[in-house]
Amino acid sequence: MSMFEITIPFDQSHLFFPRIITWLLGGLFVLVLMKYARPIMSKYRSGGMTELLDLEEFHKFKFFGTIVLVALYFIMMDVVGSWFPNMGFGFLFVSMPFIFLMGMMYVHEITKATVTKIVIVSLVSPLLAWFVLARLFDITLP
Amino acid sequence: MEFLSALSPLFFLLIAFGVLVGIIFGSIPGMTATMAVAVCLPLTYALDLTNGLALLLGLYVGGITGGMVPAILLKIPGTPSSITTTFDGYPMAKNGEGERALKIGIVASLFGGVFSAILLFLFAPVLSDFAIKFSYVEKFLIIFLALTVIASLSGNMLMGIFSGILGVWLSLIGTYDISDGGNGEIRLMFDFMEPYLESGFSLLPVLIGLFGLGTVLIEAEKGVKKEISSQSLKMSGQAQFSMSVFKGKLTNLIRSSSIGTFVGMLPGVGGSAASVLAYTQEKNFSRDSSQMGKGAPQGIVASESSNNGLTGGALIPLLSLGIPGDSTTAILIGAFTLQGIQVGPLFIGDNLDTWYTMVFALLVANFVMFAIMFFAIKHIAKVVAVPKYILYPIIIMMCVVGAYAINYGIMFDVWTLFMFGIFGYVAHKVGIEIPPLIIGFILGGSAEIYFVKSLESYGDFMIFFTKSPIAMFLWGLIFMSIAFSIYLHIKGRRQQSSEAET
Repeated sequence: MSMFEITIPFDQSHLFFPRIITWLLGGLFVLVLMKYARPIMSKYRSGGMTELLDLEEFHKFKFFGTIVLVALYFIMMDVVGSWFPNMGFGFLFVSMPFIFLMGMMYVHEITKATVTKIVIVSLVSPLLAWFVLARLFDITLP
Repeated sequence: MEFLSALSPLFFLLIAFGVLVGIIFGSIPGMTATMAVAVCLPLTYALDLTNGLALLLGLYVGGITGGMVPAILLKIPGTPSSITTTFDGYPMAKNGEGERALKIGIVASLFGGVFSAILLFLFAPVLSDFAIKFSYVEKFLIIFLALTVIASLSGNMLMGIFSGILGVWLSLIGTYDISDGGNGEIRLMFDFMEPYLESGFSLLPVLIGLFGLGTVLIEAEKGVKKEISSQSLKMSGQAQFSMSVFKGKLTNLIRSSSIGTFVGMLPGVGGSAASVLAYTQEKNFSRDSSQMGKGAPQGIVASESSNNGLTGGALIPLLSLGIPGDSTTAILIGAFTLQGIQVGPLFIGDNLDTWYTMVFALLVANFVMFAIMFFAIKHIAKVVAVPKYILYPIIIMMCVVGAYAINYGIMFDVWTLFMFGIFGYVAHKVGIEIPPLIIGFILGGSAEIYFVKSLESYGDFMIFFTKSPIAMFLWGLIFMSIAFSIYLHIKGRRQQSSEAET
């Protein structure tokens, strides 16, 4: 019996490889920390989180706005979709305000022309996507 | 030629549509070929395999090529692989040779694309024939080799390895599937997650999240920069393009296309590695490289032929070994699985018609790309200025469709997309590299099965070394790739220290 021999009990076989990988990942994480802990700390001391994560131009409104809007979009789509099962209406009716709001959030100058553009896009593109995918191709949509 | 009879006009239409959409995605800075494929995936759900392939390959070729448009006109690479196109393309555009530079790039792209498609056609079957003889031991070593190659060539070796292993870890979440010979037990999660994650994270929502939502978040953080007005993109009354510019550049074309194809074959190595390598080789080997960087056509030729060489190259390991060559082909794996096709050593032999169709579609896509780009480049150039406030919401909308419909309407897949979108942003900030992560994620499941099954049947770790001559040969390659990465590392460090001294 050599030191390299091994038996893996079948009922535990699902843990064998994940354990190796978890240990490996942990080890690598420690290495990463050892290598970068000092530069990270010195960067943090000199400029705080802004310098550390390169956030000089961090646009809080647009960034967190995007996350909140996308999360709301997903939640509402499911809710509205459950009122009309298998029609894809949740997708259709929630995409419209979503595209409008996100467009308004990202646009730099709010003028008559840009707002008109956003309104048209927010009405037409969900309708087109819904019609092509849900109606023509029979793809399941919320 | 039997496969030709199965092709319909729709096949060609879809290629053209794919190429056009791909070019548009490639042309818009911040949107890549990978994103184009991810966003358009839902369209393939309703298509059959042949037509789905047509669309996807069209998107791939178009996306890679489109990247040159902003690279030349604005000095912003549209896709990472067109970074070196900016070196000579932008100076030419500033001298009023924008259209000429673009057309040089288009012809070089066509050459690179066709060249790599031919290599794909010749080499993928050979490699598959070879790989059919592999047992679990060799298959595991192949995956191990793929992971070492990724690590050795990623920008930061330690982070590259960490990212790859993290990908493997993420792929193990869920059930150890009975259909793969596992025991059906769940691992790596808490009890409350079981109803959602029983079969783990689905590949496509993960990819769509990383490349779709993740990219939008990165841009949102920077405030979604304003587009460049279309005024700066005027291209009238400029120097004319003629094919004579390619005189004496055949060596360059062949060398760069070969480099592109070869780098494409290495798993997880981004397109930028191919074009940077081709560009520096042209600089080293050409008789006169004094003008390179100041607007020399040869630079564009090297860059663009190599990055289109990637397309065929990345498909070689995908189709013969089941290992994706880059992140775009990683999404193709998902699309194949959806059509019920398992890529791997048996793929070509078992699906001869599909294989011919693929190569044919790739060739057609390259010629369609050429036709569209060459004759409509002036109009395509305007795409660069399409406002982001219109595009990004639509992208997110398409991401949702892609994620939701993939398993026929599971809302958790949409939340997977959301989680990995945010993860993609965080990863970008802390330096985790996405390409190795994805390759690890895709290969992790198979790596486990091959590893555990090898040990279960032989009961000895030494089997990985002693199983067969092929296994030893693979170990040779693994050691070479590790040695090469250490060499690169030391060389890089020396260069840094010598630069610091001067």
